[in-house]
Amino acid sequence: MEYLSGGKIVVVDLGTSEIVEETLEESLVEEKIGGAAITRHLAEAHADGNPIVIGTGLLTGTLYPATCGGIITAKSPVTGKLCHCPVTLKVALEIQFAGFDYIVLKGVSAKPVFLWVHDGIADISDAADVWGKDTWTTTDAWRKNMGDDLIQTMVIGKAGEEKSDCAQVCLNYWASGDRFGFGKLFGMKNLKGLAFRGMGLLEIADAEEFIELSLDMLEDLKESAFVGKQGIGDLCAAIGEQGAKEWLAPIVHRHSACYNTPYPSNTFVYIDEDPQRVTEPEQAEPGFLVTDLYGLLGFYKLNLSAKDACGLMRECARLGLDAATVAEWCAANGKQAAGDIQAALPGISSQATISGRGIFSPWCPRQPIWGAFEAAAQDGEQWWERRMAVAAVFGIHPLMAVMAPELSEADLLETATVGTGITFNQERLNGVIDYLLAD
Amino acid sequence: MAIQIDALKCIGCMACEMACGYHRDDGFALLSACIVTYRTREKKDYFGVLLKREEDLLIARPEGTEIKRIGVEEETDSSQEADASAKPMLLREACDLCKDMDLGPMCVRFCPVDAITNVE
Repeated sequence: MEYLSGGKIVVVDLGTSEIVEETLEESLVEEKIGGAAITRHLAEAHADGNPIVIGTGLLTGTLYPATCGGIITAKSPVTGKLCHCPVTLKVALEIQFAGFDYIVLKGVSAKPVFLWVHDGIADISDAADVWGKDTWTTTDAWRKNMGDDLIQTMVIGKAGEEKSDCAQVCLNYWASGDRFGFGKLFGMKNLKGLAFRGMGLLEIADAEEFIELSLDMLEDLKESAFVGKQGIGDLCAAIGEQGAKEWLAPIVHRHSACYNTPYPSNTFVYIDEDPQRVTEPEQAEPGFLVTDLYGLLGFYKLNLSAKDACGLMRECARLGLDAATVAEWCAANGKQAAGDIQAALPGISSQATISGRGIFSPWCPRQPIWGAFEAAAQDGEQWWERRMAVAAVFGIHPLMAVMAPELSEADLLETATVGTGITFNQERLNGVIDYLLAD
Repeated sequence: MAIQIDALKCIGCMACEMACGYHRDDGFALLSACIVTYRTREKKDYFGVLLKREEDLLIARPEGTEIKRIGVEEETDSSQEADASAKPMLLREACDLCKDMDLGPMCVRFCPVDAITNVE
């Protein structure tokens, strides 16, 4: 695969420590396009090793708007189904430039390890020093040990090590869309996580045309219905939880976006610092980046203060727990005081409620957000699954997929064709989506 | 013409950095960009934009813009510099305002929130 790609797949056998590099064949891209369709294909090809497959979308890391997305695909140890978790923030960007489009991790390591992926090299590294440590300490340790603060991580905490059903793979320090217990699967494999850093370059088949299409899309998005909205609070309001937006507002510090994503969906709250402060805080860890809409709403509905709720979400992220599932568990078990919840966190092992068929993560709302989607009115569930599939193939942020009808299948296909020099058409995409949505 | 950056409007998406990298390398890469989102204070949510110009470094911090002349010793002090990436800013080429691009400065064109603008 020559364009928009590092051109390589790495297959890591954690049981034997064997690492095999394979070429990403253009024929596979012609057939599956990219992202979740290829991670599923690789998961099926290596099914005997109960693999975790990590990948990027076909457009991930480019200048086409909203192309921050990556994918973790695996058989959930909780639902038993092959499913896909979105990878956002700047993590998929770093995977893309670290040299491998797809990473297959199979087997079980005899001892705690992590995979260090950098500049076209994948190394199985010892994780004994961070086993038992929380996600924050681990990310800090890897960045310090490798001497680079821009390393991006996928990491589990104690919840994953202890194989909690609601263990989550976190991204750097923050919550992810993992509702499938992939954190538990990492723990079962003695895999503390992965660290990514790369200085690669993606070549473009027709660069000028690609840039023109990307700018046209950006101009369209600047007129989109989401313009003027920002952060997790406005997302709460969009799904009918205006009260949560107002409840959170006093501690909101700033909103930020995932890579090249026009809507800043992540909201940093200052818990131990004045939220209005614009200079660099003296405290090393003054707050938390809220990336998980349903985790936030779950704690909001427990009638906690916003500070207590966000403090608990921070603790969930440190432990590598899915905050939404924890909040569900608290509601079901009558835990409503912050201190009681905090004390209970290390022992919680509860299965997430997964609505729908559980192929894509319910982390993303199952309804249009501001944008007008005709298909959603006809069959909301079918529309949502298709939008998630399209996002996961091309590397589009899932929230943008339910927010921006401008990101149409036709436009994505045209951009992918221009960028790769491979002709992709609607018939091919329909086939890929059918493949992804098949049980 | 010059580039002006409003760090408080910036959402830290890095589109400017990739756009600049494209201008330098004719592909998608970050290593050569002369404009970068500094984001190493992740746990503090303290971020802004750094631009290398011919004679100075423009550091757009949330609290305001600072200009440091290149060659002054303190600029190489990592505690003073808004550390950005594995390749130090001072080793990168200075901003040329994308003078060879019909589209104008790419960082301006690709900023989704107009935090980067052209000023005469």
